[in-house]
Formats: sequence, structure tokens, C-alpha cells
Amino acid sequence: MTVDVPVSLSRLPKEAPKNRLGLARWLVGRTHPLTARVIVNRYWQHCFGTGLVKTAEDFGTQGEWPSHPDLLDWLAVEFMESGWDVKHFHRLIVTSATYRQTAKLSPTGMTRLLAIDPENRLLAHGPRFRLDAEVVRDNALTISGLLAEQIGGISVKPYQPEGIWKAISYDSNLTYQQDRGSGLYRRSIYTFWKRQSPPPGMLAFDAPTRETCTVRRPRTNTPLQALTLMNDTTYIEAARVLAQRMMTEPKQTTPQARIQFAFRLAIARLPKPGEAKILLDLFQKQLKEFKKNKQAAARLIEVGESKRNQSLDVIELATWTTIASVILSMDETVTK
Amino acid sequence: MNHISYNSNIIDLARRQFFGQAAGGIGAVAFATLLNPQIASADKAKKTPGILEKTHFPQRAKRVISLFMHGGPSQVELFDYKPLLKKLQGTELPDSVRGTQRLTGMTSNQKSFPISAPGQFTFKQHGQSGSWMSDLMPNLAKVADDICIIKSLNTEAINHDPAVTLLQTGHQQPGRPSIGAWTSYGIGTENADLPAFTVLISQGSAARPADPLYTRLWGTGFLPSNYQGVNFRSSGDPVLYLSNPPGIDSSTRRRMLDGLSRLNQKGYESFGDPEINTRIAQFEMAYRMQSSVPELTDLSGETDQTFKMYGEESRKPGTFAANCLLARRLAERGTRFIQLYHRGWDQHYNLPSDIRLQAQDVDRACAGLISDLKQRGLLDETLIVWGGEFGRTVYSQGKLTATDYGRDHHGRCFTMWLAGGGIKPGISYGVTDDFSYNIAEKPVHVHDLNATILRCLGIDHKRLTFKFQGREFRLTDVHGVVVKDILT
Repeated sequence: MTVDVPVSLSRLPKEAPKNRLGLARWLVGRTHPLTARVIVNRYWQHCFGTGLVKTAEDFGTQGEWPSHPDLLDWLAVEFMESGWDVKHFHRLIVTSATYRQTAKLSPTGMTRLLAIDPENRLLAHGPRFRLDAEVVRDNALTISGLLAEQIGGISVKPYQPEGIWKAISYDSNLTYQQDRGSGLYRRSIYTFWKRQSPPPGMLAFDAPTRETCTVRRPRTNTPLQALTLMNDTTYIEAARVLAQRMMTEPKQTTPQARIQFAFRLAIARLPKPGEAKILLDLFQKQLKEFKKNKQAAARLIEVGESKRNQSLDVIELATWTTIASVILSMDETVTK
Repeated sequence: MNHISYNSNIIDLARRQFFGQAAGGIGAVAFATLLNPQIASADKAKKTPGILEKTHFPQRAKRVISLFMHGGPSQVELFDYKPLLKKLQGTELPDSVRGTQRLTGMTSNQKSFPISAPGQFTFKQHGQSGSWMSDLMPNLAKVADDICIIKSLNTEAINHDPAVTLLQTGHQQPGRPSIGAWTSYGIGTENADLPAFTVLISQGSAARPADPLYTRLWGTGFLPSNYQGVNFRSSGDPVLYLSNPPGIDSSTRRRMLDGLSRLNQKGYESFGDPEINTRIAQFEMAYRMQSSVPELTDLSGETDQTFKMYGEESRKPGTFAANCLLARRLAERGTRFIQLYHRGWDQHYNLPSDIRLQAQDVDRACAGLISDLKQRGLLDETLIVWGGEFGRTVYSQGKLTATDYGRDHHGRCFTMWLAGGGIKPGISYGVTDDFSYNIAEKPVHVHDLNATILRCLGIDHKRLTFKFQGREFRLTDVHGVVVKDILT
């Protein structure tokens, strides 16, 4: 046995020592056929939802052929020649005409494109896909303003329904000790991950269990996702805090202005008249209901541990909370 | 809002999408599976089809109820009667029997391996079939003619986690889909308003602490996560996040969802993305689950006669008996794979007292489940599988006294029983040696068991595959032989 690399790929550089340093140099060497292609494909997947090679984890004989082989090669060379500049590469993608296309389909597009290229592999329109699990939550925290922006530190334990650890832990003696304060609002990459029982709100949105390496996540669309957005304390609290913002931040205090404000925060555009009307109608109906049942309104706005703005009217705040919850649950809000 | 026009849109797009990418990967599969409930409900059948257009074989069982005895129940005390042991009580297990077996760290340093007969328990033959069972299972004994006892199960795994993972996912290392996920991936479910794959967990009565369970045991591995098992909990929300938050009642929720659907419909009109219609459908299903799940878990309509059948414990939510009753209700409603776990079978010490408690937890409920399904005409189409991840050693772990002993893990042979759809009733299959230590005849590896379970469901275990990281994976990996002798 001698130390070497698979000859089918490329030779070790002549001067490279036959150790890990040599291996590293070989991996990023100009003649290595895979490294740059694989990594640019992953960046592409990150931006467009699907890689040029769909099987991002497999460039072997069992993997899928690239949809645009020349483009993949060009991108790989560009990446190497830029000095493996990740920022340059992302700028290149996100400022490209292809990426900046609208994801909207014309009525003809709906019938023709979906039939010809339902997965949009040919990129006749812009990418559109559901956010990753962690981002779904981070997004809601950001829109509401709850996000704690601290970087680094130990893992945190945000809201989790009671009893999940206990049901399966050794001797049922392990309970989840939920954090208080900012630990509830950190980015999801800081969420404590118990592989025996990962956070259910993450698993619902296809987060991997972290038991094996996962390069490509499935992207499902399930009723459990709907239930999470509807009822998880995380999202109800975010809705209440967003409602507080709607009632305090816009200069104008009309319901229309509040709806516009929240819409823009959530999806970076203003509502069309039809959309605003749906929310306005809902607001007026719900306001009537909560006026009849103030107790219900009071209970709703107690959800979550962040401090409630006591100066706001209970019934109005509860009503805006329902509106904010609808906005946070919209397909467009959880979609890139 | 106009549900009908949404549905017709969805149907239309689903067909187009489905046919447009019939050879597609995850997206196409998930999409078709998730949308089809809508198509189906338009046809007034609430089925969700799986990836298989039709089953490979006639379906003998429409569903599975897996009664997993977590920890590894002792075959020596329960089913595998060995009269010789009484004579050999306290003597060393012959080296020729133990051979080169790999022992767990819990007994590998033991200097002596004294044979421990199950002397406190009396074995008898039961029913016309004459199946042997000990007096730990007096009620199950009454339905002996309805079950098929396999005494020659075997596994390579010697510790709980790898053994359970092997049995339920076909591989000792984590990362593969569980059998319930494979099943719902393969053949979908008959009731789109409930999860296809449901998990119910109960705590055993044994004094010894129960070994941990893992969410991945009902996970999907590399299959899309819509096939994952949904754990029905006995306290709090039966399904996580099922209840509306305080202050939101059902009519408010309906109002919010109507608004949300209309907004999403506008989104669809603007983007033309079929995923938006899927999302509308999923929110509607979530809303339906908010009533279908509480209706399912509400046992108040069950008769005293029924509770008596499963045992009085069945009135108490979260017990194994209550979970068996729930399993029947799930079976009636068309759930595809109903996975129970009863914890606490790991009797390393105090075996005689702890196994009594564990057996009491399950004996009447198992018999009740079989009888109840039978009287409702469901047993023929429901496969019940009872057993743990391995068996126990015939030698005592720790000190053997007149009244007490323990047993270590034993994968070379263990006993499980099956009943219902596709399985010959009233038989025993496989024979172990005089020590219940090695298999003498007709071994059944856990892969063989899984192949047989899939076969009862009409699935060829070699042909239900999923391509991942460059190769086709299946539940039985490259193994598994259907045990045809036990099939009807």
C-alpha cells in the first residue's frame, strides 16, 4: 500500500507532500475536476433552490447530469480564478439577469411553462421556493422585531411544547428547561439540538435530524407546517409583537396604513388593493368578535414571554395580532 | 370563499404537474402525494395514494399495528418453553452453547454464567394449536389460536439503540427511514384527515428505569418529511401545535384561514406556483385535523364492555391499554401504520418482579385488541406485530438467588408474535435449542420479518426503493427473505 489519490481524478501536484497538506492542495488544485464544480453547484442550489446538478451530493455515475454543463464549468473556472472568492461568486449570481427574473408566471406561462418545465430547471422564470426550517422561524422573529441579534455563545432553548423530552428520555427523567429572555429569540442556528429528540418546529419544515450529513433537503408542504405557523407560541408571540409595531410605528394610524406597514415588513412590498381589502375585512369582523368577548382578546395577547405594551387597547391589539398571524402565515412570507 | 374553484384548480394543476414529471424526484413525489388528497376528496374517497400505483401482490393487510416491546422482553419467561432448564438450574451454561458470542459490556466480565430457569412461572399449552405460553400471559393465552408465534427471530445487534434502529429501519446506524415511513411512502393512507403513520408511547410499570427512545425511530431518514410518524401524545396536544392559542376559538380560526386562503389564492393568481395551492390545501387539512384528532382520541363514546376487554387501565390516557384502544380507533379510521412503544422491558436485574409488572401492562390489552378487531371484522385486514428488539440470555446476569436474577441482551434468538391480515393463525414457527440460546430450525432474521410485514401489505420489499446518494435504498437493504410458511 502506498499513499496516493485516485488516478481517475487527477495526480497529486509534484511538489505536494504525501500527507494531509498534499491532499488539501490536490483538492483545490487547478486540475481537480470536482471541488470547484461541487461547491459552485451548492451555492447555485442555495440561490435557486435546485443545483445545476440536481443531485448536489452526488457527482458520480449515479448522480444526475447537469442541466447546463457549460455554465457549471464556466462558474467553476470563474470561482477558481477569482481566488475562490465566495462573496464575489454570490454577487455574480444574485446580480445576474437569470436570478433577477420575476418568479411570476404569465397566464400563458402557467399553462405552457408548467407543462414543459414544471421544475423550472431551464430557468425561464425566477426561483421560488419555501424557506428552510431555520429561516422560517428567523424570518418571523425578524419581521416582528423580536430577533436577538447577538452573535455566538452557547446554545439556547426556545419555546417547545411540554413533555417532548420526558416521553422518550432514559427513565423519563429529562425535561426541557426552556430559556427566558433573549434565549427565546436568537437565530435558529443557536437552538439547542438534541439528536434523540430534535426541535419539532424544525423537523416539521424538513430540517435534517443531523444524524447524517445532508447536502440537499427535501422541501415538503404539510399540515404539520400549517399547524406550526398557526399555533406554535413562537409564531403567535411574533404576531402579537408585530401587531404592537403596527399600532405604534406607522405615522398614520389608519387600519390601511397599519396593514401596509406589516405587509411591507413581511414581504418587502405593499399590498395590492384586493389584498388590503381582505385583511381590512378580516380586521373589522374580528374586532366585532373581540368586542363581544374581551376575555378572549386578553388571553390571546398574553401568549409569549416578551413584555406586552400595556398602553395599547386590549381588543385592538388582539385583533391586530390575528391579522399579523395571517400575514406571517402567508405563502409569500415563508417563501423565498 | 369558493372552495370548489380552488379544488378544481388544484386538481387541474396536480394532473399536469404529475404527468409532466412522472419520472421526477422528491418534488414530484411529494407534490403528487400532498395534492392527491384534494383530488381524492373531490371523488369522495379520502385516500392519499403512495408511490406505488398498485401493490405488487394482493394486499392481505391494509394496515399494521406494531406493538413494540422496548427494552427486549425475555423469551425465556414468556414463550420459549425449555423444560431442561429446571434440571440445569444454577449450573454453568456450557461453552459449546455460548461459543464465541459477543456479549455486552454488562456481562462480558462475568466469571460465571449460571443457567437460570424461569422457575417462578408455569408454562402450559393453550388452545387447539397447543401453543406454549407462561402464566405471565393468561389473557393472550385465550387467543392463542389467533396468533402466530415466531421463536427464531435473530439480530446481530446487542444493544438497544442499534437493535431497535436495525429492526425498524433495516440498518444499525441512524439515517434510514423507518418501516412506517416506508409504508406510507409506498402505499399512502386511507384517511387523508389523519396522519398515515402514528406513534403512541407508553411507560412500563417495571421498577428499573426505561431505556431512551429516539424520534428517528419514526423518522423518515432520506425520505421527504411528510412521511414521518406523528406522535400522538397522551397529555397536552395529542398532535403538536394542534390546539388554537388561547383566545382563538374555532370560528375565529375559520375566519383567519378564510382570509389566509384568499390571500394565498391571490398569490397563486399572481405567481402561478402550484405549491401555493398545495399550501392552501395543507392549511385546510390542518383545520380538519383540529377536529378529526380530538374526535379520535376522545374515548368517552366507548362502552364499559370495551374498556373491560382492554382492561380497566385503558380508561387512563397514556397507558399501553389506552393506546391499544386508540390503535383500534386509528385502524377503523384507515391509518396505515400504527406504531406503539411500550417501554421498560430491559430486565437486567429483578427480572421476576419487573417482568410480572410489564406483562400485566400488556397481556389483557393485547388480547383485547385482537378480540376487538376480530369482532369488528378488522382483524383479517390488520396485521399485528408484537415483540422487542432482542431477547434475553438464559444465563443470569449478576447473582442468581432462589428468587432473583437478571438477564442480559440476547440477539441470537428471541420470540415475537404476529396476528391478523395475511398471517396463519394458531401456529408456532422456528425452534431454538434446549437452552433457548441458539436457533435450531428455521431462523427468521429481522430483515426477514420486515420483508414479511411488507409482503402482507402487498409490497415486494425488493421493489419499494428510494434513490439516495447514488443508490437505491430499501427497508431490507440487500437482505430479507419473506417467511412464506407463516402466510395464509
